[in-house]
Amino acid sequence: MEFSWDLVINAIVTGIVLGGFYAAVAIGVTIAFGMLDIVNIAHPAFMIAGAYLAFLGWEDFGFDPFVSMAVFAPCGYLFGRAFYRAYHYFFERRGDESLQGLAFFFGILFIVEIGVVLVFGVDYRSISEPYLESSVSVGFVSVPWRMLVPFLVGLGMLGSVHLYLSRTFTGRTILAVSQDVEAVRLIGANPIRAKEIAFGIAVATAIIAGVLLIIIQPVEPSITREYIGRAFAICVLGGIASIPGTLVASLILGVAEALTTTFYGPSWSPAVSFGLLLLTLIFRPVGIFGR
Amino acid sequence: MGFLMMSCSRKKSKGLILANSLAIEGLHAGYGEVRVLSGISINVRGGETVVLLGTNGNGKSTLIKCIMGQVRPTAGRIVATIDGTSYDLIGRSTEDIVGIGISLVPEGRRLFPKLTVEENLLLGAFREFARARISDSLAFCFDAFPRLKERRRQLAGSMSGGEQQMLAIARALMALPKILLVDEPSVGLAPILVSKTIETIANLKKQLGLTVLMAEQNFRQAIRIADRGYVLVHGQIVLSADNPQALQQNELVRRFYLGVG
Repeated sequence: MEFSWDLVINAIVTGIVLGGFYAAVAIGVTIAFGMLDIVNIAHPAFMIAGAYLAFLGWEDFGFDPFVSMAVFAPCGYLFGRAFYRAYHYFFERRGDESLQGLAFFFGILFIVEIGVVLVFGVDYRSISEPYLESSVSVGFVSVPWRMLVPFLVGLGMLGSVHLYLSRTFTGRTILAVSQDVEAVRLIGANPIRAKEIAFGIAVATAIIAGVLLIIIQPVEPSITREYIGRAFAICVLGGIASIPGTLVASLILGVAEALTTTFYGPSWSPAVSFGLLLLTLIFRPVGIFGR
Repeated sequence: MGFLMMSCSRKKSKGLILANSLAIEGLHAGYGEVRVLSGISINVRGGETVVLLGTNGNGKSTLIKCIMGQVRPTAGRIVATIDGTSYDLIGRSTEDIVGIGISLVPEGRRLFPKLTVEENLLLGAFREFARARISDSLAFCFDAFPRLKERRRQLAGSMSGGEQQMLAIARALMALPKILLVDEPSVGLAPILVSKTIETIANLKKQLGLTVLMAEQNFRQAIRIADRGYVLVHGQIVLSADNPQALQQNELVRRFYLGVG
């Protein structure tokens, strides 16, 4: 497409808004992979579970997507805690987490995807609310609410998780647990409980991200695959365990993808995340906020 | 009247001090087939500083880990008495033992390197009863270690070895322990810092009325603050000394550990 500054500015704004949503997707990977050393590649599976739950709630009960978040995110939290318990019992406790654990999460990813196909079919599903169809315009830049809502919710979620981790005892224990498990015991805390709570939070954020996803665009079961690469790329680019890093990396990826889509076409956008991932690994392996 | 008051206060302070003690009887422990401790019996009475001496690989750290519930002994008893209540420590989790009122300054310090000094300290007060007094404890630690206050926003991993050792001690104190265990505080420190660290432990013990058990391989430094001591060789107590002089004058200790005589 021909170059013009209007397009650039539009792409940057779109990218930033998109980045807020990516942050909502990646925060759970930052927690699980960055802080708990759990390579949860099934994270996008929990996300589409959230998307389809929101669809179900909307179609059968007329739930607003925000009602879906309020109902399903706590369920996700409880499920996440139980899920971590099982993972810990069968894999982590025996030191089998690296390879067997990875295979386990891969399996979960497929089971969820196929489960969704069996229940909902492979067609695109979407939800719509009147307020999501309107836009906010400032000058020549126009942003639809169905992008703005995920952006704002994403930022709010990151902020809340950041406050929780830095201000509460359990939160700080979660930050400490990836650094030294024995030392966590020595301060009188139970590291397994801290990890369980953290994983519950990670799954809850995935469910919310899924609801945000179906607000943004129609969803079909194999959409998970696009997000595995994105989420892990953001996590690494941001510095693995850093929440501010996750936010900055999400915004960078969002803007880079929006610019690529505008000038080279949407088919290039998946290449952006892997390109950024490779560049990060070459030039700054610890990530932007790695410490 | 004066006599009465004196006897009264003496009785009170004696009661307080005697309340926190540690008794280990016939302790056996090991890792798989390897036996590390064979029949250890030691006592730490209320208000004492007891040192556990021995060179590397003789079982000091294993003994400390047994007390903290990090290693499960194969036989024997470990009983802690805190504020007049006795607790059998074997079978309890490390978290429970910290909750009872026993804290460890671990070997190698084991700080959270990517958290700040202040975050490390705050984490030290994880247990409910410590949380209630967290601001007092933090003020006390910053008062005792002004260096930590200066560096409160710095990452723990970026500090010097001596500063890290101070932080490790301060973090253990944040849990408001009654009994403080210290494992090899001298490891990795310059000689001047070793002697400073040892003195710090002695001062804090006095200020807070702690009961201290310290494992150390630097005999000369450890003996300076010891009320009593044990020498551990190949998992057995070879010498039990009732005062520091007895340790210093023991022929074996002089020859092998102090390098004199």
